[in-house]
Order: sequence, then structure tokens, then C-alpha cells
Amino acid sequence: MLRAVVTQVGEAFTVHVSTVPPTTPPAQETSTSESETVHDANTTVNSDGVVAKDGEIGHTTKELAAPGPNPIVPEVKEVIWGAGAFIVFALIMRYLAFPKLKKGMDARYSGIRSDHEQADATRLAAQSDVAEYQAQVASAKADAAAHLDQARQELEAKRTARIATANAAIAEMRAAATAENDSARAAVQSQIQGAVAEVSSSAITLAIGKAPDAAVVSRVVDEVMSAGAAR
Amino acid sequence: MLGLDFPKINEILRWQDIFSSFNKIGLIAVLAAVIGSAIFLLAGSKDHTVAPKGIRNLAEIIVEFIEESVVMQTMGKKGLKWTPFLLSLFVFIYLCNVPGIIPLFQMPATARIAIPLFLSLLVWIVFIGTGLKHQKGAYFGHLLWPPGVPVALKPLVGLIEFFSTIIVRPLSLTVRLFANMLAGHILLVTFALLSEAMFQAKTFQPFLNIGGILPFFMLVFLTGFEVLVGFLQAYIFAILTAVYIGTSIEGHGDEADMAQAH
Amino acid sequence: MEAMSHLVNAAGTSTPTELKAQAAASSAGFAYGLAAIGPGIGIGYLVGKSVEAMARQPEAAGMVRTTMFLGIAFTEALALIGFVVFILIGL
Repeated sequence: MLRAVVTQVGEAFTVHVSTVPPTTPPAQETSTSESETVHDANTTVNSDGVVAKDGEIGHTTKELAAPGPNPIVPEVKEVIWGAGAFIVFALIMRYLAFPKLKKGMDARYSGIRSDHEQADATRLAAQSDVAEYQAQVASAKADAAAHLDQARQELEAKRTARIATANAAIAEMRAAATAENDSARAAVQSQIQGAVAEVSSSAITLAIGKAPDAAVVSRVVDEVMSAGAAR
Repeated sequence: MLGLDFPKINEILRWQDIFSSFNKIGLIAVLAAVIGSAIFLLAGSKDHTVAPKGIRNLAEIIVEFIEESVVMQTMGKKGLKWTPFLLSLFVFIYLCNVPGIIPLFQMPATARIAIPLFLSLLVWIVFIGTGLKHQKGAYFGHLLWPPGVPVALKPLVGLIEFFSTIIVRPLSLTVRLFANMLAGHILLVTFALLSEAMFQAKTFQPFLNIGGILPFFMLVFLTGFEVLVGFLQAYIFAILTAVYIGTSIEGHGDEADMAQAH
Repeated sequence: MEAMSHLVNAAGTSTPTELKAQAAASSAGFAYGLAAIGPGIGIGYLVGKSVEAMARQPEAAGMVRTTMFLGIAFTEALALIGFVVFILIGL
């Protein structure tokens, strides 16, 4: 029968394992050390595998490699190292790294933004240039159209003038021809009248034996001829 | 059945001290601080006029992530001055989480309760301090009684709010981070041990030695999953900090109700 | 645990402490298993509703996602407390 007594000195644990007669109930010591292990996890360790082998009697001391408190309980050295590391890191970030990085980012972003604005301005200028050019083109086109109109009008005027003169000439010639025609017709008519009057008067003379009044004959011939012409 | 001998929990969480009062957790914390500072200091020293690439790009992505997804979503524009603090929290926690899957480290520093506890207490001090600074003595009134509480209910509501704000908040912050990382670590250990035991099994050799590939695949999958969990926990820690600080700045609002839902 | 039981076995009797330890060891698993039921349902419901909201209004996805993570964090805390209790009583 083995009896184990665990004692703690600082970080080191000493385990005394000894044989005891089986008659004595040895539970007292071990149970107290266990309750320490369970409740006061800060300072005690589970004694892992330190129970001596059968027959190995006496005094064994072993430094344990991995035992530790319950993992729920923080270890002071880890808290200190973690806290120190984080605080240093946070201060470096706050006062050195982040402001510089952020300044660079802001500078670049504002640069990009101003570039954008510049590009916008350039584009606007180009657009106004284009508008101006288009206006010029339009005015040139209008000029050309005006010139064209003018030339066309001049041509038109010339053409109408020529046509008018030609028409006038034609009308003149036609009037002359008409007048000639009329005079010829009048001459022929007077000749015919004279002849008809002569023939009629001679016929009447033959018929009644007496020469009719020349004035009456000419009046009657006139009437008949104009009636015939009117018919 | 396999006689898998699972080690005791302290065996997978504690290491021999590197020297007295300095152990692996401290080493990881210091390395996280050093690497984090190095990344951001280097990034800050790069030419800022050209388009960012490499380390500066990384740092700017992180900063914008914190600004867009953490600060703007919870505190709005006036919370932007808290960006450095939240950024430090996020980066530090992430860099403490990630060694859980890096070979040779294989231990998330946040799987020990020390660092989560310290960070939670720091956040606790910060948000109470902010509340006192912004709302003076009225802070405790706002803290205990949301607007519109009937007088008859005031003692009960006050008690509940006191517990949820003063006690449950830091505790849940601590436990959320710590327990998530510890659970992930235990999972990884379990599957690693299982694969090893199956690969080296002496009985049913053809079956077990080949079947050991299955827990190994699970191990690979969980390792990838732990990357996500490490990121998510850092993000959640930062965003909860932002919510708490935002509540302290503004008094009770919608976010306050949301934050005190538990 | 193991060491304690070694010691207790060495003592050769079954003390109340040992009985308590045995009960704790056998109930630790239940502590976590029971604690995981509620948050499991809760997180499933929460994420499902969030996906619904995001699908209905994709322009509000960022806000919904942030709120979803907050909700998950609060819900998950219960399961994690169960996990911590598991560690506490299982050791």
C-alpha cells in the first residue's frame, strides 16, 4: 500500500511516497491535498505521474514539465506579458504607425480626388472648346448659306431681268406685227369695202337705173360687213 | 476501442517556461506586437503617392476594413477617432490567434485566458471611461435604466442592466474569444492524435493505417477552418468593442438595445 | 484527474471527493452537449433569416451581415459558457 504526501515549496512540488501498513486509513492527507488542487488552482498543480512505482520506497522529488492550474485561471506572467505587448503595440499604432499611414492614405485620396476634379475641369474646358468650335462652324455655315442665297438671288434677278427684256422685245415685235397685220387687214377691208360698194352701187344702178347715194351704199356695206364680221 | 490516450488538458495548453516568468504565450504575444508594429511601420514608410502594393496594400486593406465594417457600421462618422484602438485590438488578436495553425507554434495565445481577460478588462475600462467622459454622471443612469422604463420596474431593470453591462459584457468578451480558440485547438489536437494513432496502429493494420487518412483530411479541413475562426473572432471582438464604446458615447439607442440583448 | 485518482486509489478508499470527481467527469460531456442545443438552433435560425433578408434586399447586405455577426456572437456566448463549464467540471 502506498501513501503519498504532496507538499509545495514555491513552484516546486515534492511528493513523498512511502509504504504504510494497510491497516491505517491514509485518506486524510491525500484528500486535503486534493481539495487544495481543486479549489486553490492558482498555486497548486496536479501531480501527474509522480506516484512512485511499486517497491520504490522513500523520497522522490520531481520537477514537472507541463502541469498547471485549471485553464480557466489566468496565469500572472501571461497576463503581464500579454498586457505589456498589447499596450506597447497599441501605443505604437496610435502615435507612430497609424497617423503616418492614415496621412499617406488621406493625401493620396485627396490627390486622387483633386486629379478627378482636374480631369473634370479639363473635360469641361474641352467641352466648351468643342461648343465654341461648333458655334464657329455653324456661323461659317450660315455665312456660306447667306452667300449662296445672295448669289442665287442675284442670279435670279439677272435671269428675271433678262427674261423681262426678252419678253419686252417679243411683245414689241408681236405688237409691231399685230399693228402691221391690223393695218394690212384695215387696208384690205377698205379695199374690199370700196370694191363691194362699187359692185353694189353698180348692181343697184343696173337694177333700178339710178345711181344710189354713195353715202347710203357705203353705210349699208359697212353695216353688212360689220354684221358679217360680228357673226 | 482504439485505446486512444488523450492527454490531459494542461498538457496540450502549457509548455515548459522558456525562462522563468516567460513562456510560449508571452513569446507569441510579444511576437504579435512586434510583427504588427513592423507591418504598419513598414507600410507607413512606403511611398504613399503611388498606388499601394505589397505590405502597404495589406495595411491599407486592414485599415479600410476596420473603418468600413467596424467603425462606420456601429459608431458612424464620429467614431473614426477610435480606429487606431480597434485596429490594434483586431491586429493583435488576429496575430495571437494565427499561431494556432502555424507549424512549430501550434498554439493560439488566446487559447489561454490571460490575454482575452486582459483585453476585455481594458475594453471594459475604456467603455466605462468613455461613458463617464461623454455623459458625466448621467452615464450610470443611462446605463441602468433605458428610457421609458416604468418606475415600478426600475429596481429589477436596473439590476439586470447592471449585471449585463458591468459583469456579463467583459466576461462574455473574454469567454467568447478564449473558448472559441481553445475549442479549435482541442479539435486540432484530437484529430492530429487520432490520425497518428491510426497510422501507427498495430492491430487491424490494413484497415486502420489506410483509414487514418480520413481524420487527417479532417485535420487539414479544420486547419483551414481555424484561419477563418481566428479572423472572425478578432473581427467580433473589435466590433463588440465598437458597439460598447458607441453605446457609451450615445447613451441608449437601437444599438444599445441590440448590444444588451443577452 | 488521473493523478488524483492515482492518489485516491493509493489510499484505497472511496472518499466523497472522489465520488464528486467521478460524477463531474461523467456529467462534463452532458454539460457541453446540452448547452450547445439552444445556441445551435438559435444560430441556424438567425443566419437563415439574415440570408433571407440579404436576398430580399441585397443593398442592405452589409448592415444585415454586421448585425448577423453581432447576433451570432451573443448567441454563441451561451454555448461557449457551456464549454467553459465543461472544462471547469471535467478537470
